[in-house]
Amino acid sequence: MTMNCVAALERIEAKADGLLPPEEEAALAGHLAVCPACSAEEAAISATGPLLRAVTGIRANEKTPAIDAMWTRVRAGIGEAREAPRRPLWAARWAWIPAAFALAVLALLFYPARTDRPPFHPRTFDVAVEDVESDVATVALVDKGEDLPRVIWIIEDAKT
Amino acid sequence: MNEGENGGVPDDALIRTTLAGDDGAFGQLVDRYKGRAFAVAVGIVGDGDDALDVVQDSFIKAYYKLKEFRFGANFYTWFYRLLVNQAIDRWRKSARSAEVPFDEKWLSEEASPPDAFAYPRTPEDLVRDRELGDALQRAVDALPAYHRAVIVLREVDGMAYDEIAKVLGCSVGTVMSRLHYARGKLKEALKAHREG
Repeated sequence: MTMNCVAALERIEAKADGLLPPEEEAALAGHLAVCPACSAEEAAISATGPLLRAVTGIRANEKTPAIDAMWTRVRAGIGEAREAPRRPLWAARWAWIPAAFALAVLALLFYPARTDRPPFHPRTFDVAVEDVESDVATVALVDKGEDLPRVIWIIEDAKT
Repeated sequence: MNEGENGGVPDDALIRTTLAGDDGAFGQLVDRYKGRAFAVAVGIVGDGDDALDVVQDSFIKAYYKLKEFRFGANFYTWFYRLLVNQAIDRWRKSARSAEVPFDEKWLSEEASPPDAFAYPRTPEDLVRDRELGDALQRAVDALPAYHRAVIVLREVDGMAYDEIAKVLGCSVGTVMSRLHYARGKLKEALKAHREG
Protein backbone atom coordinates (compact mmCIF):
# COMPACT_ATOMS: atom_id res chain seq x y z
CA MET A 1 0.00 0.00 0.00
CA THR A 2 1.54 3.30 -1.06
CA MET A 3 0.55 6.69 0.25
CA ASN A 4 0.75 10.26 -1.02
CA CYS A 5 1.29 13.40 1.06
CA VAL A 6 -2.41 14.23 1.38
CA ALA A 7 -3.23 10.80 2.75
CA ALA A 8 -0.15 10.87 4.98
CA LEU A 9 -1.00 14.23 6.53
CA GLU A 10 -4.52 12.98 7.28
CA ARG A 11 -3.12 10.03 9.21
CA ILE A 12 -0.33 11.59 11.23
CA GLU A 13 -2.56 12.55 14.16
CA ALA A 14 -4.18 9.15 14.26
CA LYS A 15 -0.70 7.63 14.42
CA ALA A 16 0.21 9.98 17.29
CA ASP A 17 -2.86 8.71 19.18
CA GLY A 18 -2.16 5.06 18.40
CA LEU A 19 -5.36 4.71 16.39
CA LEU A 20 -3.93 3.77 13.00
CA PRO A 21 -4.51 0.19 11.73
CA PRO A 22 -1.23 -1.71 11.29
CA GLU A 23 -1.29 -1.72 7.48
CA GLU A 24 -1.89 2.04 7.32
CA GLU A 25 0.79 2.67 9.91
CA ALA A 26 3.25 0.68 7.78
CA ALA A 27 2.24 2.62 4.68
CA LEU A 28 2.65 5.90 6.52
CA ALA A 29 6.05 4.89 7.78
CA GLY A 30 7.07 4.09 4.22
CA HIS A 31 5.96 7.52 3.02
CA LEU A 32 7.64 9.37 5.89
CA ALA A 33 10.92 7.63 5.08
CA VAL A 34 11.02 9.26 1.65
CA CYS A 35 9.21 12.57 2.25
CA PRO A 36 11.13 15.15 4.34
CA ALA A 37 8.21 17.58 4.52
CA CYS A 38 5.73 15.01 5.86
CA SER A 39 8.41 13.59 8.13
CA ALA A 40 8.99 17.02 9.65
CA GLU A 41 5.24 17.52 10.07
CA GLU A 42 4.99 14.18 11.86
CA ALA A 43 7.93 15.09 14.09
CA ALA A 44 6.29 18.37 15.09
CA ILE A 45 2.92 16.79 15.82
CA SER A 46 4.48 13.89 17.71
CA ALA A 47 6.61 16.27 19.77
CA THR A 48 3.63 18.10 21.18
CA GLY A 49 2.68 15.46 23.70
CA PRO A 50 6.12 14.76 25.15
CA LEU A 51 6.86 18.50 25.28
CA LEU A 52 3.65 19.26 27.12
CA ARG A 53 4.36 16.42 29.54
CA ALA A 54 7.92 17.71 29.98
CA VAL A 55 6.67 21.23 30.76
CA THR A 56 4.14 19.77 33.19
CA GLY A 57 6.82 17.60 34.72
CA ILE A 58 9.00 20.62 35.43
CA ARG A 59 6.11 22.45 37.07
CA ALA A 60 5.16 19.39 39.08
CA ASN A 61 8.74 18.96 40.32
CA GLU A 62 8.69 22.56 41.51
CA LYS A 63 5.55 21.91 43.53
CA THR A 64 6.23 18.38 44.80
CA PRO A 65 6.06 19.21 48.53
CA ALA A 66 2.75 21.02 48.09
CA ILE A 67 1.31 18.21 45.97
CA ASP A 68 2.41 15.68 48.59
CA ALA A 69 0.56 17.70 51.22
CA MET A 70 -2.62 17.99 49.16
CA TRP A 71 -4.76 15.90 51.53
CA THR A 72 -3.76 18.17 54.43
CA ARG A 73 -4.92 21.19 52.41
CA VAL A 74 -8.13 19.51 51.31
CA ARG A 75 -8.96 18.34 54.81
CA ALA A 76 -8.43 21.86 56.14
CA GLY A 77 -10.71 23.24 53.43
CA ILE A 78 -13.41 20.70 54.26
CA GLY A 79 -13.16 21.69 57.92
CA GLU A 80 -13.48 25.38 57.10
CA ALA A 81 -16.54 24.75 54.97
CA ARG A 82 -18.15 22.78 57.80
CA GLU A 83 -17.54 25.56 60.31
CA ALA A 84 -18.80 28.37 58.09
CA PRO A 85 -22.02 29.85 59.54
CA ARG A 86 -25.07 28.82 57.59
CA ARG A 87 -28.53 30.33 57.47
CA PRO A 88 -31.15 28.15 59.13
CA LEU A 89 -33.17 26.16 56.67
CA TRP A 90 -36.39 27.92 57.68
CA ALA A 91 -34.80 31.30 56.84
CA ALA A 92 -33.84 30.12 53.40
CA ARG A 93 -37.28 28.64 52.80
CA TRP A 94 -39.35 31.61 53.95
CA ALA A 95 -37.04 34.48 53.06
CA TRP A 96 -39.16 35.38 50.06
CA ILE A 97 -42.20 36.36 52.13
CA PRO A 98 -41.09 39.84 53.28
CA ALA A 99 -40.02 40.71 49.75
CA ALA A 100 -43.33 39.53 48.32
CA PHE A 101 -45.24 41.56 50.94
CA ALA A 102 -43.28 44.70 50.11
CA LEU A 103 -43.98 44.22 46.40
CA ALA A 104 -47.68 43.76 47.07
CA VAL A 105 -47.84 46.99 49.10
CA LEU A 106 -46.05 48.91 46.37
CA ALA A 107 -48.40 47.46 43.76
CA LEU A 108 -51.45 48.55 45.76
CA LEU A 109 -50.03 52.03 46.22
CA PHE A 110 -49.13 52.68 42.61
CA TYR A 111 -51.76 50.73 40.73
CA PRO A 112 -55.37 51.77 41.39
CA ALA A 113 -58.16 49.19 41.41
CA ARG A 114 -59.93 50.80 38.43
CA THR A 115 -58.28 49.37 35.37
CA ASP A 116 -59.44 52.16 33.03
CA ARG A 117 -57.19 54.63 34.76
CA PRO A 118 -53.49 54.64 34.00
CA PRO A 119 -51.14 53.57 36.78
CA PHE A 120 -50.37 56.30 39.23
CA HIS A 121 -46.68 57.06 39.32
CA PRO A 122 -46.09 60.16 41.46
CA ARG A 123 -42.85 61.96 41.08
CA THR A 124 -43.28 63.33 44.53
CA PHE A 125 -45.13 61.83 47.36
CA ASP A 126 -46.49 64.95 48.97
CA VAL A 127 -48.95 63.64 51.49
CA ALA A 128 -51.26 65.84 53.49
CA VAL A 129 -53.81 64.88 56.03
CA GLU A 130 -57.23 66.46 55.47
CA ASP A 131 -60.37 66.32 57.42
CA VAL A 132 -63.60 65.55 55.67
CA GLU A 133 -66.78 66.23 57.50
CA SER A 134 -69.06 63.27 57.66
CA ASP A 135 -71.09 61.25 60.09
CA VAL A 136 -68.12 59.17 60.78
CA ALA A 137 -64.65 60.17 61.69
CA THR A 138 -62.67 60.15 58.52
CA VAL A 139 -59.03 60.85 57.87
CA ALA A 140 -57.84 60.99 54.33
CA LEU A 141 -54.25 60.85 53.24
CA VAL A 142 -54.06 62.82 50.04
CA ASP A 143 -51.28 62.82 47.57
CA LYS A 144 -50.68 66.29 46.12
CA GLY A 145 -48.15 65.33 43.48
CA GLU A 146 -48.11 66.57 39.95
CA ASP A 147 -51.50 65.08 39.12
CA LEU A 148 -54.82 65.94 40.68
CA PRO A 149 -54.93 65.17 44.36
CA ARG A 150 -55.79 61.60 44.97
CA VAL A 151 -56.93 59.95 48.12
CA ILE A 152 -54.59 57.11 48.76
CA TRP A 153 -55.63 56.05 52.20
CA ILE A 154 -58.81 56.48 54.20
CA ILE A 155 -59.05 55.85 57.85
CA GLU A 156 -62.59 55.61 59.24
CA ASP A 157 -63.32 55.18 62.86
CA ALA A 158 -59.65 54.47 63.44
CA LYS A 159 -59.84 51.61 61.00
CA THR A 160 -58.26 51.68 57.55
CA MET B 1 -14.50 -0.91 37.55
CA ASN B 2 -12.62 1.90 39.25
CA GLU B 3 -9.90 -0.36 40.52
CA GLY B 4 -7.25 1.44 42.43
CA GLU B 5 -3.89 1.73 40.85
CA ASN B 6 -1.53 -1.14 41.63
CA GLY B 7 -4.41 -3.22 43.04
CA GLY B 8 -5.52 -0.84 45.79
CA VAL B 9 -9.00 -0.46 47.22
CA PRO B 10 -11.46 0.30 44.39
CA ASP B 11 -12.67 3.87 44.08
CA ASP B 12 -16.28 2.85 44.65
CA ALA B 13 -15.39 1.26 48.00
CA LEU B 14 -13.52 4.38 49.10
CA ILE B 15 -16.49 6.53 48.12
CA ARG B 16 -18.92 4.36 50.09
CA THR B 17 -16.64 4.49 53.12
CA THR B 18 -16.38 8.26 52.84
CA LEU B 19 -20.15 8.61 52.63
CA ALA B 20 -20.38 6.43 55.73
CA GLY B 21 -18.39 9.07 57.60
CA ASP B 22 -14.75 8.06 57.19
CA ASP B 23 -12.92 11.06 55.75
CA GLY B 24 -9.70 9.07 55.68
CA ALA B 25 -11.11 7.09 52.77
CA PHE B 26 -11.52 10.32 50.82
CA GLY B 27 -7.90 11.09 51.71
CA GLN B 28 -6.91 7.91 49.87
CA LEU B 29 -8.77 9.12 46.80
CA VAL B 30 -6.96 12.44 47.03
CA ASP B 31 -3.59 10.72 47.28
CA ARG B 32 -4.46 8.48 44.35
CA TYR B 33 -5.35 11.25 41.90
CA LYS B 34 -3.58 14.37 43.15
CA GLY B 35 -0.59 13.97 40.82
CA ARG B 36 -2.63 13.51 37.68
CA ALA B 37 -5.03 16.23 38.76
CA PHE B 38 -2.17 18.68 39.22
CA ALA B 39 -0.72 17.84 35.81
CA VAL B 40 -4.06 18.56 34.14
CA ALA B 41 -4.67 21.71 36.18
CA VAL B 42 -1.24 23.19 35.53
CA GLY B 43 -1.61 22.42 31.83
CA ILE B 44 -4.80 24.45 31.73
CA VAL B 45 -4.03 27.34 34.08
CA GLY B 46 -0.29 27.49 33.39
CA ASP B 47 0.75 28.52 36.89
CA GLY B 48 1.80 26.07 39.60
CA ASP B 49 0.27 27.93 42.53
CA ASP B 50 -3.01 28.45 40.72
CA ALA B 51 -3.00 24.78 39.81
CA LEU B 52 -2.57 23.79 43.45
CA ASP B 53 -5.57 25.94 44.39
CA VAL B 54 -7.62 24.44 41.58
CA VAL B 55 -6.81 20.90 42.66
CA GLN B 56 -7.59 21.68 46.30
CA ASP B 57 -10.87 23.39 45.45
CA SER B 58 -11.85 20.57 43.10
CA PHE B 59 -11.30 17.91 45.74
CA ILE B 60 -13.26 19.90 48.31
CA LYS B 61 -16.10 20.33 45.84
CA ALA B 62 -15.97 16.62 45.02
CA TYR B 63 -16.19 15.79 48.72
CA TYR B 64 -19.41 17.74 49.12
CA LYS B 65 -20.87 16.43 45.86
CA LEU B 66 -19.92 12.82 46.56
CA LYS B 67 -23.50 11.89 47.39
CA GLU B 68 -24.38 12.74 43.76
CA PHE B 69 -21.85 10.22 42.40
CA ARG B 70 -23.47 7.36 40.52
CA PHE B 71 -21.87 4.07 41.49
CA GLY B 72 -20.68 2.14 38.50
CA ALA B 73 -19.50 5.29 36.77
CA ASN B 74 -15.83 6.17 36.60
CA PHE B 75 -14.76 8.33 39.54
CA TYR B 76 -11.85 10.03 37.84
CA THR B 77 -13.99 10.93 34.81
CA TRP B 78 -16.60 12.40 37.19
CA PHE B 79 -13.91 14.18 39.20
CA TYR B 80 -12.08 15.44 36.14
CA ARG B 81 -15.24 17.19 34.99
CA LEU B 82 -15.19 19.20 38.22
CA LEU B 83 -11.45 19.75 37.89
CA VAL B 84 -11.51 20.96 34.28
CA ASN B 85 -14.39 23.36 34.96
CA GLN B 86 -12.60 24.75 38.02
CA ALA B 87 -9.38 25.14 36.04
CA ILE B 88 -11.08 26.91 33.15
CA ASP B 89 -12.95 29.23 35.54
CA ARG B 90 -9.72 30.02 37.35
CA TRP B 91 -7.86 30.70 34.13
CA ARG B 92 -10.58 33.03 32.89
CA LYS B 93 -10.47 35.03 36.11
CA SER B 94 -6.71 35.20 36.31
CA ALA B 95 -4.49 37.88 34.88
CA ARG B 96 -2.93 35.37 32.52
CA SER B 97 -6.01 35.27 30.37
CA ALA B 98 -5.89 39.04 29.94
CA GLU B 99 -2.20 39.56 29.53
CA VAL B 100 -0.98 36.81 27.29
CA PRO B 101 -0.69 38.31 23.86
CA PHE B 102 -1.31 36.07 20.93
CA ASP B 103 1.58 36.35 18.55
CA GLU B 104 0.34 36.29 14.97
CA LYS B 105 3.55 34.75 13.77
CA TRP B 106 2.44 31.59 15.52
CA LEU B 107 -0.21 31.35 12.84
CA SER B 108 2.22 31.86 10.01
CA GLU B 109 1.69 29.53 7.12
CA GLU B 110 4.71 30.94 5.35
CA ALA B 111 7.26 29.08 7.36
CA SER B 112 9.28 26.80 5.17
CA PRO B 113 9.12 23.09 5.87
CA PRO B 114 11.42 22.48 8.80
CA ASP B 115 14.36 20.25 8.39
CA ALA B 116 14.99 17.38 10.75
CA PHE B 117 14.98 18.62 14.32
CA ALA B 118 15.14 16.80 17.61
CA TYR B 119 12.62 18.27 19.98
CA PRO B 120 13.28 17.87 23.69
CA ARG B 121 11.19 15.01 25.03
CA THR B 122 11.93 14.92 28.74
CA PRO B 123 11.95 17.49 31.53
CA GLU B 124 15.71 17.11 31.64
CA ASP B 125 15.99 17.96 27.94
CA LEU B 126 13.62 20.84 28.36
CA VAL B 127 15.62 22.39 31.18
CA ARG B 128 18.30 23.05 28.61
CA ASP B 129 15.77 24.81 26.39
CA ARG B 130 13.50 26.54 28.89
CA GLU B 131 12.49 29.12 26.30
CA LEU B 132 10.96 26.39 24.17
CA GLY B 133 8.87 25.26 27.11
CA ASP B 134 7.80 28.84 27.75
CA ALA B 135 6.90 29.29 24.07
CA LEU B 136 4.82 26.13 24.20
CA GLN B 137 3.07 27.24 27.39
CA ARG B 138 2.27 30.61 25.81
CA ALA B 139 0.79 28.81 22.84
CA VAL B 140 -1.31 26.65 25.18
CA ASP B 141 -2.46 29.77 27.05
CA ALA B 142 -3.56 31.33 23.77
CA LEU B 143 -5.86 28.41 22.96
CA PRO B 144 -9.58 28.73 23.68
CA ALA B 145 -10.40 27.21 27.06
CA TYR B 146 -11.94 23.93 25.95
CA HIS B 147 -9.33 23.37 23.22
CA ARG B 148 -6.72 23.74 25.92
CA ALA B 149 -8.54 21.26 28.12
CA VAL B 150 -8.69 18.72 25.28
CA ILE B 151 -4.99 18.87 24.45
CA VAL B 152 -4.03 18.64 28.11
CA LEU B 153 -6.35 15.71 28.84
CA ARG B 154 -5.10 13.89 25.75
CA GLU B 155 -1.38 14.62 25.79
CA VAL B 156 -0.67 15.07 29.49
CA ASP B 157 -3.16 12.71 31.08
CA GLY B 158 -3.36 10.23 28.21
CA MET B 159 -7.15 10.09 28.21
CA ALA B 160 -8.93 8.37 25.36
CA TYR B 161 -11.22 10.37 23.10
CA ASP B 162 -14.42 8.95 24.57
CA GLU B 163 -13.29 9.66 28.13
CA ILE B 164 -12.43 13.26 27.19
CA ALA B 165 -15.87 13.56 25.60
CA LYS B 166 -17.49 12.46 28.87
CA VAL B 167 -15.41 14.86 30.94
CA LEU B 168 -16.18 17.83 28.72
CA GLY B 169 -19.75 16.85 27.93
CA CYS B 170 -19.28 16.89 24.17
CA SER B 171 -19.09 14.42 21.30
CA VAL B 172 -16.02 12.45 20.26
CA GLY B 173 -16.12 14.34 16.98
CA THR B 174 -15.85 17.64 18.84
CA VAL B 175 -12.94 16.28 20.84
CA MET B 176 -11.11 15.27 17.65
CA SER B 177 -11.83 18.61 16.02
CA ARG B 178 -10.57 20.60 19.01
CA LEU B 179 -7.52 18.35 19.30
CA HIS B 180 -6.67 18.85 15.66
CA TYR B 181 -7.00 22.62 16.03
CA ALA B 182 -4.90 22.71 19.21
CA ARG B 183 -2.14 20.53 17.78
CA GLY B 184 -1.98 22.73 14.73
CA LYS B 185 -1.52 25.86 16.86
CA LEU B 186 1.11 24.26 19.05
CA LYS B 187 2.94 22.93 16.03
CA GLU B 188 3.08 26.43 14.55
CA ALA B 189 4.34 27.81 17.84
CA LEU B 190 7.15 25.28 17.89
CA LYS B 191 8.07 26.09 14.30
CA ALA B 192 8.03 29.82 15.01
CA HIS B 193 10.22 29.36 18.06
CA ARG B 194 12.79 27.42 16.11
CA GLU B 195 12.86 29.97 13.34
CA GLY B 196 12.57 33.05 15.57
